[in-house]
Amino acid sequence: MRKLSVIAVPLAAALAAGAIAVSSGSGSSHREAPLSALDPTADDTDVYAFTAPDAPGDLTIVSNWIPFEDPAGGPNFYRFDDRARYYLNIDNTGDGVYDVRYRFQFKTTVRNPDSFLYALPGVTSIADPKLNIVQTYSVWRETYKNGKETGARRIAAGLPVAPDNVGPKTIPNYGAVAAQAVRALPSGGKVFAGQVDDPFFVDLGSAFDALNLRVGTGNAGGGKDDLAGYNVHTIVLQVPEARVTRDGKAVASASAQNAVVGVWSSTDRERLDVARTARHTKARAAQAREVQVSRLGNPLVNELVVPLGKKDFYNRTQPSGDLKHFGKYVLEPELAKVLNILFPGLNVPETDRTDIVQALLTGIPGLTQIAPGAPPTDTLKINLGTVPNPNPNRYGVIGGDTAGFPNGRRLADDVTDSSLRVVGGFLKGNKLPLGDGVDQNDVPFRATFPYVAPPHAGFDSQIKRAEPQHAPVGPDPSQP
Amino acid sequence: MLARLAIGAAAAFVLALGAFGLLARDGEPAPAAPSAARLPELPPPSASTDRRIAVLQAIVRARPRLEQARVMLAAAYAQKARESGDVQFFDKAGGLLEQALQRDPADPAALTERAALSLSRHDFRAGLRDARAARRAGPGLNRPFGVLVDALVELGRYRAAGRALQAMVDRKPDVAAYSRVSYWRELHGDLTGARRAMALAAEAGADTADSTAWVGAQLSHLDLLRGRLRLAERDAREALFRVPGHPASSAALARVEAARGELPAAIARLRRLVVRLPLPEYVIALGEYEQAAGRHAAARRDLALAHAEQRLLSAAGVNTDAEAAVFEADHGSPAHAVRLGRRAWAAAPSVRSADALGWALTRAGRPAAGLRWAHRALALGSRDPAFLAHAGVAARAAGRPAEAAPLLAAARRSPGLSPVLVREVGR
Repeated sequence: MRKLSVIAVPLAAALAAGAIAVSSGSGSSHREAPLSALDPTADDTDVYAFTAPDAPGDLTIVSNWIPFEDPAGGPNFYRFDDRARYYLNIDNTGDGVYDVRYRFQFKTTVRNPDSFLYALPGVTSIADPKLNIVQTYSVWRETYKNGKETGARRIAAGLPVAPDNVGPKTIPNYGAVAAQAVRALPSGGKVFAGQVDDPFFVDLGSAFDALNLRVGTGNAGGGKDDLAGYNVHTIVLQVPEARVTRDGKAVASASAQNAVVGVWSSTDRERLDVARTARHTKARAAQAREVQVSRLGNPLVNELVVPLGKKDFYNRTQPSGDLKHFGKYVLEPELAKVLNILFPGLNVPETDRTDIVQALLTGIPGLTQIAPGAPPTDTLKINLGTVPNPNPNRYGVIGGDTAGFPNGRRLADDVTDSSLRVVGGFLKGNKLPLGDGVDQNDVPFRATFPYVAPPHAGFDSQIKRAEPQHAPVGPDPSQP
Repeated sequence: MLARLAIGAAAAFVLALGAFGLLARDGEPAPAAPSAARLPELPPPSASTDRRIAVLQAIVRARPRLEQARVMLAAAYAQKARESGDVQFFDKAGGLLEQALQRDPADPAALTERAALSLSRHDFRAGLRDARAARRAGPGLNRPFGVLVDALVELGRYRAAGRALQAMVDRKPDVAAYSRVSYWRELHGDLTGARRAMALAAEAGADTADSTAWVGAQLSHLDLLRGRLRLAERDAREALFRVPGHPASSAALARVEAARGELPAAIARLRRLVVRLPLPEYVIALGEYEQAAGRHAAARRDLALAHAEQRLLSAAGVNTDAEAAVFEADHGSPAHAVRLGRRAWAAAPSVRSADALGWALTRAGRPAAGLRWAHRALALGSRDPAFLAHAGVAARAAGRPAEAAPLLAAARRSPGLSPVLVREVGR
């Protein structure tokens, strides 16, 4: 046998095992392009809409993208997609069509193209040249009547995105640097974009592993927050009510005609002709340059209500089509059937769930109905006339706190527990003590804009958190 | 929130859907009661493939009726095979998918994964069958479009591929769609358009660091073909910064170094690469660079290894006819190369197969026949320097210098031309 060199030995070993796959790289071989179903920069994770106690005349929207940002993700940092368009949509007429849209577009600058480093140590301000990779953004406000654009104006440009919290050596006083990303809008209100703690809290295993609730039916704590320690990218927008209401006026009271608006986020990406030389038909030329790739209104609707084979379709469609496309899945939710199988004796109603349709999609009359007879649309409906509750209840409306979910959604609202209970039949008198055992976020929210908690630093990140056990919370959470 | 639930922590969520799926299909109660044992939690997307495999194995054991978990494990095995080069993981993935499809022959997720698996093994017709079945089974889903486009491209059905790809990108422009648009344009000779589409893919970003680095390697490849060596180097180095040692990006950087005449650097880089991942493609490039650098003994040894690898792959049921034909034509028996080339064309009538067969014929002393196949290879307008060189050499040998000259000139201009072909066209 010929003498094999050092390299040839592992080669020979691999050969002996018959263990060599086809190339997946470039060149003449078959290409294995990504098949990923996941699209982190476009996928909205959560939308919150609330009246902040310190800004009672304003609508505040928190909208998140890019889930599972690992604070200790090494040289990989996270940013918005420069070529995507991020939207916060508002429907003030109740037809599921946007009447006001805020559009956000980002631009990345690499200050030193010879370096791939995110930043050099000792960053002291958001304009510090030691920040090598920086994002800025512009905000447009678009208005529509019956779906036709009536105006579009750039209301801010060149605003800085708060940097990723890569660690205390790189950005010693992260809070002060990120605070410089809070910007006033000349037309009224404030805006912030950048990395923050993921404000959602849920025991994914417990809520989604066929409702494998950890402690009894999950109303006594003991859950594990699967999102603790992870960051997301957020856009927080706070604008005067009059900028989003039907009549362009402030809201006089909770019963005012203009009091309720529906909020949702969406992401568009650029359409592309496969062949650049393609001759355009008239029909093709009339198509929009952008395609909606993702949308989100109420929490958990696409996850728990829309069936697997329709999830991509949901993301392409508008709320105005929700009755036609998804109505039947809300009226007869699979989740209700699963609950009955897993917990015999719960007697969860399985059909004709108009109570769920009303709570999430048409709006509760006198509280979150945008207009009389409004069709079911998956938008997060908020009554801007509702006074913020100084003692909020995490269960929101079903906990007797009408200033919380599904009247908008506050950061601390426990939407997993209240959704489980609503599906359990709470609004039909079947008050079940369901929950995932996680009651609150892993870190406290802020009392002032942008309200969400600062991002976890890579240096000291702690993934996951266990909720302490406590006395069971009741069938009726307003009387624990 | 789909993303958060659909991957990362949330295989668990998919499993809940699995319970729904069982309900929907059986129409009657599925699992009796939730088991007391809790499922392990899936690690986030940033976790390694090994970690995903370990967790999914535990989930499949705990919930044997949840087909989604089985399909996810199969996908993780296939990913492992692509990362490690160990084809045994393809077999494991295949076994799991057969089980899943036995229970539900119309499960779109399992059909899509099996299509991807067939494509990885270069069984493009089987891939096309499954891709179409997946499209029928899940008409609302985006994912089957990717495998459908890949199968059509590999089978040389470029117009149908273009139509499917347009539908794909109209539905959801993302890294999967943009990167396929890039390849389709590259095949049609539109390198600028290909670079633009791949830049969109890079901007959109992928769900794993590995996929992101793959996009970087493709950017480098396209920049090299466009003669932008500095940019090509930067693309590859950035991908390597994000994913140290990323194989395709290391190979891309070695090609840039070779294009600059820095053969010792390219050789050292490829040598480090093939120790970890001895794919024939990398071993052949290494051997050819060694040959060009005058290191004949090392070249002979590495090319012999590449030769043995081709035979083993073929024995393991992986169809590598087109690559093997070119390799045989360059470094082995041209007569055997012709046989392999004919088989490649019969299995997958693509421009790649046409090029391989044409080059084999040319090297076997039949340049006129070789040229006819070379015309087929160039029919879409490809600017692949190897295609151009093969056509040029065939035309020159067939006594058609007027046709040969511009082809050879174009090949010579391309910094992406392999050293073997540099010698051929320069002769």
